[in-house]
Amino acid sequence: MDARDLKEKIFLAGAALLSLLAVLPVFHVLLSVIWNGLGVLMEAGPSFLTGVPPPPNGGLGGIAPSLAGTLLLAVLSSLLGIPLSLFAAIFAVEFPDNPLAKGVRVLSKALLEIPSVVVGMLIYAVVVVPMGRFSMLAGSLALAIMMIPYVTTYVEQALEGVPFTYREAGFALGLSRPRVVFDILVGIARRGILTGILIGFAKVLGETAPLLFTLGRDRYNVPLGPLDYGDSISLLIFDYAQTPYANMHRVAWGAALVLTALFLIIFLVSRRLTEEVFL
Amino acid sequence: MEVESVTFEGKGYALQVEDLHVWIRGKHIVKGISLEVPRRRILAVMGPSGSGKSTLLRAINRLIDLIPESRVEGRVLVYGTDVYGEDPYRVRRLMGMVFQTPNPFPNMSIYDNVAIGPRLNRLVRSREELDELVKWALEKAMLWDEVRDRLDDPPHRLSGGQQQRLCLARALALKPRLLLLDEPTGNVDPVNAVKIEEALRSLLKDLEITIVLVTHTPHQAVRISDYIAFIYSGELIEFGLTDTIALNPRHELTVKFLRGEV
Repeated sequence: MDARDLKEKIFLAGAALLSLLAVLPVFHVLLSVIWNGLGVLMEAGPSFLTGVPPPPNGGLGGIAPSLAGTLLLAVLSSLLGIPLSLFAAIFAVEFPDNPLAKGVRVLSKALLEIPSVVVGMLIYAVVVVPMGRFSMLAGSLALAIMMIPYVTTYVEQALEGVPFTYREAGFALGLSRPRVVFDILVGIARRGILTGILIGFAKVLGETAPLLFTLGRDRYNVPLGPLDYGDSISLLIFDYAQTPYANMHRVAWGAALVLTALFLIIFLVSRRLTEEVFL
Repeated sequence: MEVESVTFEGKGYALQVEDLHVWIRGKHIVKGISLEVPRRRILAVMGPSGSGKSTLLRAINRLIDLIPESRVEGRVLVYGTDVYGEDPYRVRRLMGMVFQTPNPFPNMSIYDNVAIGPRLNRLVRSREELDELVKWALEKAMLWDEVRDRLDDPPHRLSGGQQQRLCLARALALKPRLLLLDEPTGNVDPVNAVKIEEALRSLLKDLEITIVLVTHTPHQAVRISDYIAFIYSGELIEFGLTDTIALNPRHELTVKFLRGEV
C-alpha cells in the first residue's frame, strides 16, 4: 500500500465518521421517540387516539381532540394555501418577465425563512383580535402563510423542470396557454407538484409557533367548525412537556410518536412519488 | 377550422415567405428569406447546424412567440392566411410540427398522445369519431400495425423511431395543411428514418398537405424533396427545384454543402 492509497483510506474513514456524526442526532431523536412513545401507546391502547387528556397524575387518557385538530388544520390550511401556491407558481413560471411575477418569486423565497412566531403574531393582530376569539380558522390562516412559500417554490421548480420541447409541442397543436399549462405541463410535472404539496402538508403538521396565540388550545373537545377553538399535537407536546406531572410527560411522548408516525407516512409517500421511474 | 373557405391569395401557393427576418436577443438569425412552395410538395430546408433553419420553421408557425426577446419582420402566408395578421393559436392549427428529438407527452398513453389535439381543440363529437381519427393518424404515420394492441401503453415503451412516428401521428390528427418537421430523423435509427420518409411521401398522395422539412444532411434533402432551400448563416443562398439544385447548383457554397465540405 503506497502513501496515496493510505491518504485515500484516511480521507474516506474521516468522511464516513463525520457523516455518521451528522445523522446520529436524527437516529437519536427517532429512537428516543419510539422508545418512550411506544410504551405509552401500548399501555393506553387505542383509546390514546380516541380519548381526551388525563388530569394531573391521573393516568394516560388520549389525545383525540389534538390529533383531530392537527389533521383538520393541515387540511384547512391546505385548502387555503395550495390553490394559491399553485397559481402563484404557474404565474411566476409562465410570465417570468412580468414585474408582479418577479415579485412573487423573490417574496416566496424570502418567506421560506420567515420566523413562524411572527406569522402567529400577525394573525393574532389581524384575525384573532378583530374577531374577538381564537379559532381553527385563525390557526389555518397562519399555517397557510407558512405553507405557501414552500409549495410555491416546489411547484415552480417542478414546472420549470419540464423540458421546453413539451411546451413547444403543446403550442404547436394550436392549444391556448391555459390548455398547455393545465393539460400538458402540470400533467408532466405532477409528481414534483404532488411532492411539493406533501412537503407543505408535512411542514404544517409539525408547526407550533404560529398556533401559540391563534388556536385557543381546547384539547378536550374535537373542533367541529372553522370558528371553534382547537388544539394541535405540537401544542399539546409543548405544554405537557413543561408540566411537573409524570403522567403528562408520558402523554407528550406518546403524542410525539403519533406525530412522528404521521411524518414518516408522508415522507414515505413522497419518496415513492419521486422515485417512480420517469420517462 | 375554416380551411376549406380560405381563398388562395397569389398563385395558389401553400407557403409564401416574403422577406422574413428574425432577431433573437438582438442577434439577426434569419436574414431576409423569401420563397414559395406550391401545394402538395415537399420543401427541404437544408444547411449546416446553426444556420437558422429551425428558427425559420418556428417563424412559420409562430412558436417563435415563445422565445423571449424575439422579433419578426416580413410576411408569412400559409394557404393564403397571413400568419402574422391572425391570432397565433388559430394559425397554428393550420400547421403541424414534428421536432428533432421525439417528444411524445410522457404522462399520456399512446392513444391519448394522438387524441389530445383533436380532443382539446374540440374537433370530434364522439368517442367513435375520435377512435377513427386516432387510427387514421397512426396509419398515416405508418405506426398503426405496431401499436394497435398496445394503445394504452405509455410512449416510453416504444423505440425512439416509433416515438417519432407517434409524434407525426399526433401532428397529423389535427389534419394540418402544412406539416413542419425539424430534423425529424436526426435522432432516429436508419430503418426508422426510412419509414418516416416513406410516410411523408405517401401523405402527399391522398391528402391536401404540404411539407417543410428541415435537415442538415444533403442526402435526405435530395432523396425526399421537390424543392430545396439552402440556408447559410441566416441567408437563403439558393432555392429551386430539387433536381436543379442537386444537378446544377449555381452557388459555390451549395456545391460545397452538397459535397459535405461545409
